[in-house]
Amino acid sequence: MDLVLTEVRKTFGGVVAVDDVSAVMPQDKVTALIGPNGAGKTTLFNAITGFDPPDRGSISFGDRRIDGLPPWRVAELGLIRTFQTPVGFTTLTVRESLLTAATPHFVETPVQALGLGRRARGHERASEARAEELTADLGMADLLDVRTDELSAGDRKLLEFARSLMAEPKMLLLDEPAAAVAPANIGRLSQLVRRLCDERGLGSLIIDHNLSFLMQIADEVHVLDRGALLASGPPSEIAANPDVMRVYLGEEQP
Amino acid sequence: MTNPIFWVGVLTLAAIYASLAMALNVESGWGGMWDLGIAGLLAAGSYCYVILTADPDLGMRFAPGLSMWVAWPLSALFTGLVAFAIGAPALRLRREYFLITTLAFAEIIRQLVVIQADFTRGTLGIPNINRPFDSFVTGRDYNYVLLVIAALAAAVMYLVTRQIGSSPFGRTLRAARDNEAVALALGKRVNRMRIQTFVLAGILIGATAPVYLFYIRAISPQLFAPGITFTVWTALVIGGLGSIRGGLAGAFVLIVFTEAVGLIEVDPAHINILVAIEPMLVGLLLVLVLRFRPDGLFSERDSFGSRRTQAERASGRAATASSRPTAAAQASD
Repeated sequence: MDLVLTEVRKTFGGVVAVDDVSAVMPQDKVTALIGPNGAGKTTLFNAITGFDPPDRGSISFGDRRIDGLPPWRVAELGLIRTFQTPVGFTTLTVRESLLTAATPHFVETPVQALGLGRRARGHERASEARAEELTADLGMADLLDVRTDELSAGDRKLLEFARSLMAEPKMLLLDEPAAAVAPANIGRLSQLVRRLCDERGLGSLIIDHNLSFLMQIADEVHVLDRGALLASGPPSEIAANPDVMRVYLGEEQP
Repeated sequence: MTNPIFWVGVLTLAAIYASLAMALNVESGWGGMWDLGIAGLLAAGSYCYVILTADPDLGMRFAPGLSMWVAWPLSALFTGLVAFAIGAPALRLRREYFLITTLAFAEIIRQLVVIQADFTRGTLGIPNINRPFDSFVTGRDYNYVLLVIAALAAAVMYLVTRQIGSSPFGRTLRAARDNEAVALALGKRVNRMRIQTFVLAGILIGATAPVYLFYIRAISPQLFAPGITFTVWTALVIGGLGSIRGGLAGAFVLIVFTEAVGLIEVDPAHINILVAIEPMLVGLLLVLVLRFRPDGLFSERDSFGSRRTQAERASGRAATASSRPTAAAQASD
């Protein structure tokens, strides 16, 4: 089950933000998407997740076309994304945020709300146990009852990650997960992403500017430059690619 | 001034407004849909009830003369249908556009009532609406019966909305209000849930409508001018948007305050001045409450999750924090 992009194109007025990108991102691998600012990384994320559908081309996940589907439908199929700025559900506590992420839609109906159905309660208890286990794992068990808007930026980032896991994803799409995270915690984050992939087969597609972080954990790297795919390959190959060096470090003067 | 019957009436009206404020809280407090069409939904429920139960002798074109116990749930359901008809197009809009649209729909409903005089008797109105148990208890004693009915309705509304608030449905509703993009990214069917909530609030308002009619006793279109919407909103904002107890407390504070202002004894020559400054005093009350309790008497923060904040836990002041809401309630008495 792979995430497959075929000639995906997205323009804003006259600006070509994503220029006929074709790529295969395996569902059980860690794939990195790098590129300088304005290369179209987040636009591509928005196209994949239905927030801003592509103008042309197709996107499929497994055997399903997902381009043109609404965001909630893409998420239901198992593609769970995070956002660059982790605002989250400001007035909900960490526990409430995690439970919200874990609740399937058939529990969130007015009929269940009025207590006319029994499915909600059992589900709620199971999710609560999972939330406690996960927060303990991430070292944020003491924050369970703290409101999201009272968390530090780093903790909010961690919550964003935990929330995505509670939604039982088939593949994670992480938009700059290492930004605003303390250097000491970046190591923990990369271990976690790697472990999820190796032990549970949960792959990710990651955008980040922190190249050393990405090079450590990625199985495959795609480089975007001005909307187009410049290079794809394993990290060692990408690191040695003169074109990539040029994009990141600028033209070498003769 | 110390006439108990007068205060029984005030408390009855307060209980009715409390029910409406608690229903409004579901859609506006938790759902984040700022609905200015409460008067329209109340009109839909009221006229549905009145038409279904009206005396055939009044000469209305459709008067099935149903029992009030049948008509009551039917008006609630009908109001839910009307809410769906309004919500389906209006919920495509956001924020102030939604607010203006709901206000417009409420006015459309009121004008429809005026124009469709064959069915509604238009501006003539309908007097002497039947009330439950009024053959057993008559005269002034009936006011006590009415207070019990209104209080029971408010109690049921409290329990129902509390159940909604503590459910996964209510939680996701608040989550989508806080951050729609994140809710969508987690697979939440945000639009569908908002329409469901809007219809649910419509049903709750429609269920309250007959109690309002028992109190008013006669119906006419001008009862459903936008003023009633703003009174319900003022009550909820004073009490605390997002909190059920807020809707309850806010309605009692506002209605008792407004009626008490009317009791101020002035020279008959100056009565028009008193009438004129009454809205100013209500405005002053609102400003004062929001100055000292920006989230209202009760806030959503007190109603959900833990009352302990990170800072309080760090300094070990958690025990004092949990007593805050009670202290605030006493201060407002």
